[in-house]
Amino acid sequence: MLSSEKKNTWVIGSKSSYFDFSLQELLAYQHLLFRLVKKEFLVNYQQTLLGPLWLLFQPVLTTVTYVFVFNKIIGVPIGGTLPPVLFYFSGIILWNFFSESFTGNSKIFRDNIHIFSKVYFPRLIVPLALTITQFLRFLIQLMLLVLLLAYFSFFRGFSLTISWYLLAVPFVIILVGMLSMSIGLFFSIITAKYRDLTNFVDILLRVTMFITPVIYPLSAVKESIRWVVQLNPLSSLFELFRLGLLGEGTVTLPQVAYSVGFMLLSFILTILLFNKQGGKLIDVI
Amino acid sequence: MSENAIEVENISKLYNLGKIGSGSLRRDMNRWWKNAVLKKDDPYFLTEQQPNPASFDLWALKNISFEVKQGDALGIIGSNGSGKTTLLKIISRIVKPTTGFVKGRGKVSSILEVGTGFHSELTGRENIFISGYTLGMNKREILQKFDEIVDFSGIEKFLDTPVKRYSSGMYVRLAFAVVAHLEPDILIVDEVLAVGDADFQKKCLGKMRDVSQKEGRTVLFVSHFTQAIINLCNKALWLKQGQLQDIGECASVVNKYLGSVQQFNLKQDWDNINDAPGNDLIRFKKIELIPHLENPEDPLDIRVPLTIRFKFWNFTDDISLAIGLHLFTYSGECIFDNQSLSATFNKGLIEGECTIPGNFLNDGSYFVSIVINRDTSIQMYYFEECIAFDLEDYRGEIKWYGKWIGAVRPRFPFKIEQTSFKIE
Repeated sequence: MLSSEKKNTWVIGSKSSYFDFSLQELLAYQHLLFRLVKKEFLVNYQQTLLGPLWLLFQPVLTTVTYVFVFNKIIGVPIGGTLPPVLFYFSGIILWNFFSESFTGNSKIFRDNIHIFSKVYFPRLIVPLALTITQFLRFLIQLMLLVLLLAYFSFFRGFSLTISWYLLAVPFVIILVGMLSMSIGLFFSIITAKYRDLTNFVDILLRVTMFITPVIYPLSAVKESIRWVVQLNPLSSLFELFRLGLLGEGTVTLPQVAYSVGFMLLSFILTILLFNKQGGKLIDVI
Repeated sequence: MSENAIEVENISKLYNLGKIGSGSLRRDMNRWWKNAVLKKDDPYFLTEQQPNPASFDLWALKNISFEVKQGDALGIIGSNGSGKTTLLKIISRIVKPTTGFVKGRGKVSSILEVGTGFHSELTGRENIFISGYTLGMNKREILQKFDEIVDFSGIEKFLDTPVKRYSSGMYVRLAFAVVAHLEPDILIVDEVLAVGDADFQKKCLGKMRDVSQKEGRTVLFVSHFTQAIINLCNKALWLKQGQLQDIGECASVVNKYLGSVQQFNLKQDWDNINDAPGNDLIRFKKIELIPHLENPEDPLDIRVPLTIRFKFWNFTDDISLAIGLHLFTYSGECIFDNQSLSATFNKGLIEGECTIPGNFLNDGSYFVSIVINRDTSIQMYYFEECIAFDLEDYRGEIKWYGKWIGAVRPRFPFKIEQTSFKIE
């Protein structure tokens, strides 16, 4: 009887609780998490010509376009002595990280219904794997940014200032990742049930980009309407990111505290909602 | 006395069918308000009348309770839509029951609706690993079983091909191999036999038998091949429209099920001559099919001799009549046309019968039509499709469950002998 006592017993009930969350169970599935990250990485480049090079091409091409359109044609002031390439590239990769992770997370239920309807495992593994994958992609792009930084400081006379703010950069990246996952997951639960809201999610993402300092610095926004941009919890994170890496950005402590608070609140709310609704959604999708 | 592997307590599952539209948000708000805020009962729970026909509720399962002992092989039978898959999905933790709970012991591995949640872009190799990790195994444990899985599924050549390029047979073979070999404590198998070939069916059933009998694990098995269920399982559970009809010793439950599901029109009877089918020359009074069963609850299978008995009114004196019995398959092909000899009759009631021997027809659905001819070949009345019946399969000792081809399945004797021991 010893062997059967070792076996875990489980109960499947009809109720799902908001606090139905087991870190232990999640840890037991860590192998699956890593395998899924690997899978996400591989699947993206199957049947493609250039494979993982797209990871770098995409932000580079976008940067070229932005420099041309916003800097050369329209002349959006980016302030200071920052080379436009560095300014746009840094904004684009951080924004891509957020938007790809957000979009992926917001489709978690619909994209994985064929798996969710066939086999049980803690559902939270999938959004975690997706966010980690996007994070790894972002890291690769970040390395290119470092190379660009080195190039500009050695050959173009850009004076690189290393400050204590550099220490804030990892923290910014983690915040952006968690924010994208929690808001994305929140919408994945909502849109699984009320599908037409996906249109709203697309628009929301697009609007958010314009009120985030991606193609302009916060300092270039008129004082009178700056609050609109500052209402966006991403804004201070983008400014802090640029401040740490490039040495230019407008950040105040209350704004960062606001972003952290927003992130924590949305993260907790989403996890609670996910626990409550995750098991039931399979019936509605 | 072995322990219970699964205890199902009063499980019900409600599905909301039809459109989920703007109404669902309002309903959800209403439900939330009543439930969470006012602490009242669910306003939509167990309501019989449905105000909106576009959106109605369906109880896929209702008050199901049973227990499965460790090492049991439980066959689950029932017609389409009886809730078999829903029950397996609840036990596999994929959907939540609306009421009740399931208690289980050990790892559950399931293959539902011909699939295990493979990632179609990934190779067979990758999918074996992901499935293993999904079951909570580690790399070493999976590697131990890896060769066995590949060997069983016979896909070694395609191990590094994305599974989306697999044929459906290969896909199911791999899916089954993975779930059956990764040492689950409870193995749930939903309808795998339908896809594979005969050889694979044999391997599957053999493996499931090993899992339950040699390894002492629990198997839940759904299949339309009732003969395979009798062969593999020691217990059976019969679901009918979401309700537990019977559970117990396998063969008796299966027989009761088969006896009940047969859709047939075994008997037609007309008392009033004016309503009876026919014309001015002939009117039918009665037609029936009498299976020669030992026990009236037994299923109508291919071994059973069938007698077709008919009564009709003849309105003409001194007439030479011959009866023809036509048997058709469900798809309309005629299997035989059996003609009686002619005989002379007078006005009044005429009775007759004809017996189709057992072990002659194949399994399937059949129609009987009866033709009454005058003077050998002049048709007086053709009573089309007057009897319809299904014959169930019976394999007995034959451990193969593929579709037996042919319209008939007679047992003509063979004579086989070896005539030489040399090969030129």
